[in-house]
Amino acid sequence: MSNLQLTSRGELKHFLTLAGLDRLMLERILDTADSFVVVGNQEVKKVPLLRGRTVVNLFFENSTRTRSTFELAAKRLSADVLTLDIKTSATSKGESLLDTLRNLRSMHSDMFIVRHTDSGAAHFIAEQVAPDVAIINAGDGRHAHPTQAMLDMLTIRRHKGNFEPLSVAIVGDILHSRVARDQIHALKTLGCSDIRLVGPNTLMPNSIGSMGVTTHTDMDEGIKDVDVVIMLRLQTERMASAFLPSAGEYFRLYGLTTQRLKVAKADAIVMHPGPINRGIEIESAVADGPQSMILNQVSYGIAIRMAVMSMAMSGQMQQRQALVANPTNTEAQV
Amino acid sequence: MNMVIRGARLIDPSLNLDTVTDLHIEDGSIQAIGDLSGLTHDHNIDAQGMLLCPSFVDLHTCLRDFNQIQKGTITSETQAAASAGFSQLCPSPDTQPCSDAGSVISMITSKAQAAGFCQLLPVAALTKDLNGSQLSNMEALSRAGVIGFSNAGHDIGDNTVLLRCYEYAATFGLKVMVQAQDHALGQGHMHAGPTATRMGLDGIPVIAETLSISRHLEFMQHTGVSGHFNQITSANGVELIRRAKAQGQAITADVSIAHLCFTDTAVEGYSSQYHLQPPLRAESDRQALIQGLADGTIDAICSAHQPHESAAKCAPFAATATGMATYDMFIPLVAQLLSTKQLTTQQLVAALSTQPAHIAQTQVPSIAVGQVANFTLIDLQHQWQLDADSQVSQGTNQALNLQQLTGRTRLTWNNGQISYNR
Repeated sequence: MSNLQLTSRGELKHFLTLAGLDRLMLERILDTADSFVVVGNQEVKKVPLLRGRTVVNLFFENSTRTRSTFELAAKRLSADVLTLDIKTSATSKGESLLDTLRNLRSMHSDMFIVRHTDSGAAHFIAEQVAPDVAIINAGDGRHAHPTQAMLDMLTIRRHKGNFEPLSVAIVGDILHSRVARDQIHALKTLGCSDIRLVGPNTLMPNSIGSMGVTTHTDMDEGIKDVDVVIMLRLQTERMASAFLPSAGEYFRLYGLTTQRLKVAKADAIVMHPGPINRGIEIESAVADGPQSMILNQVSYGIAIRMAVMSMAMSGQMQQRQALVANPTNTEAQV
Repeated sequence: MNMVIRGARLIDPSLNLDTVTDLHIEDGSIQAIGDLSGLTHDHNIDAQGMLLCPSFVDLHTCLRDFNQIQKGTITSETQAAASAGFSQLCPSPDTQPCSDAGSVISMITSKAQAAGFCQLLPVAALTKDLNGSQLSNMEALSRAGVIGFSNAGHDIGDNTVLLRCYEYAATFGLKVMVQAQDHALGQGHMHAGPTATRMGLDGIPVIAETLSISRHLEFMQHTGVSGHFNQITSANGVELIRRAKAQGQAITADVSIAHLCFTDTAVEGYSSQYHLQPPLRAESDRQALIQGLADGTIDAICSAHQPHESAAKCAPFAATATGMATYDMFIPLVAQLLSTKQLTTQQLVAALSTQPAHIAQTQVPSIAVGQVANFTLIDLQHQWQLDADSQVSQGTNQALNLQQLTGRTRLTWNNGQISYNR
């Protein structure tokens, strides 16, 4: 999988998952994003890195926040942006995903931002449909959401510094979370050795320990003395499908309250990928409190997406030039 | 056609035969076995180092045709089966239209007869349209020549209906074949293990199989039906079958070639060619399946051949069709199993020919003077590449496409006729 998203020179050409990316690459993404955080604070918020490039937002699944931050990031890089609401239209006409994508590729797009309900959808597109279009995974099933995980890493690095000494707890619906898997990959690659997952057995994936984490069913034990608490969103449909008895019981056992946060280190930061369910996974006083990073995460999200988009586009350009220079060299495609 | 095959290793488990010698076939029958160096003949096959054994019997295969000719036809897939050494096949009832009527069964068998590559011993649907609510016309279907009844991959959820299926089958002494997987727990897309977790794919836990096996064992015991389990996948499943047999229950079981040779890690990278139902499981399960064959818990190896057109496998993993076209790589996979020496050649041959023939209650092909020629000659050393030119099946879902393989059928005789000759 690592090969698929890298050029033969090891440059990013797609961005599908954090699995298989090395520490140097993750740090380069964070460094690049750091420089874009500044752009957001300027009077004129544009840089010309993607001028003349066409970026297509392909959201097969609803998402207001991720879609709008990707759109904003592309516009700040001066790209032409097309956002398609293909969630219903393509499927209702019976067109297969493959045919929809082939049509879009024929419009000479340079980059697809893809969100899809099936795990592996972005991978499938990069491998079999559009290897010469940069594919950015904006969330696939419960597999990966690499830009979200990287913006979380940027948040941690900017507020906590070095990853090595940190203890990080990820709390809640790990089973259905694409973010949690990429967060684990990123934290491990960046040197964090104490990663704890907290939640009931019904929301804990099979054999998750194989990813090098510890699991805790008791919230107080799980967040004791941690530096970072990452709360995951709990979808209300989990109650109807028998994962949990009630929102009330969940909040009582796993909700983050001011009282409970005292178990963590005094300077611990609290993160959440949003949108938050106040009173279900997190108390308002915590979400809006001094330790909360929730709104910082949103603005860092734009910087991370700008970084990843510019890096992947540059990798794709290098690959295209290599192909033009030597069309028979199929190695350049790998 | 007449011929002399010289120097092959002849193995026939039913006769306890294992010897290197010559074999003479005339008018479709075995004329002589032994040192035939004095016999001159126009048609000689130098078979030194090759294996000659009774042709294979497949307890579970999908031949498509009818409303699925884009995937394969009875002609194309029985030819592919012959190229893998098979001469008798038990096609699964999940055909389109469903094999729940005598007319469908006779269409299937007459097409195969016309093609001439294999004899079919169809399995009929246990319930009408496999719907799990109405019994099929079992008695009439058994008169039409079916060897057993199965609901294929469609679990019957209602225990009342299932009890009646078993009771009705018991009335006429009919065999029930089961693909054991609980419907609700079987909703995932691969084995529930570390690979599924990392890839974010819904897992199918082992308990989906063991719950179902236990449930069917209870029904079989309660009604006295002779039952067969298709495609056991897990170590715990093997153990349940082992215990039931030890307690004297008259049951049999098979395993598919894919489950003997691949594990869930093959799915890594969202490789849809390994998207199977029931799913490929862990290495420890695969080892237990091999052990189950070695100690006789598992009686037979089936192909679970399921050809597809290319579009069926070209989508995000969960949206792709399940199943693998296995006939073209069948002999290389058998050769690979042999090379590990975990199973003897005799054990493998028995699991492919004599034992499944007993389960299907069909004539056991044997290698003896006077017998009609029903055997296959396999070159276990032959090196070749599987690709669009060399494959026989119409299915494009060839997991080992473009790979260098070792082992290939040289010749298959089906009922006195050559059905494959390379």
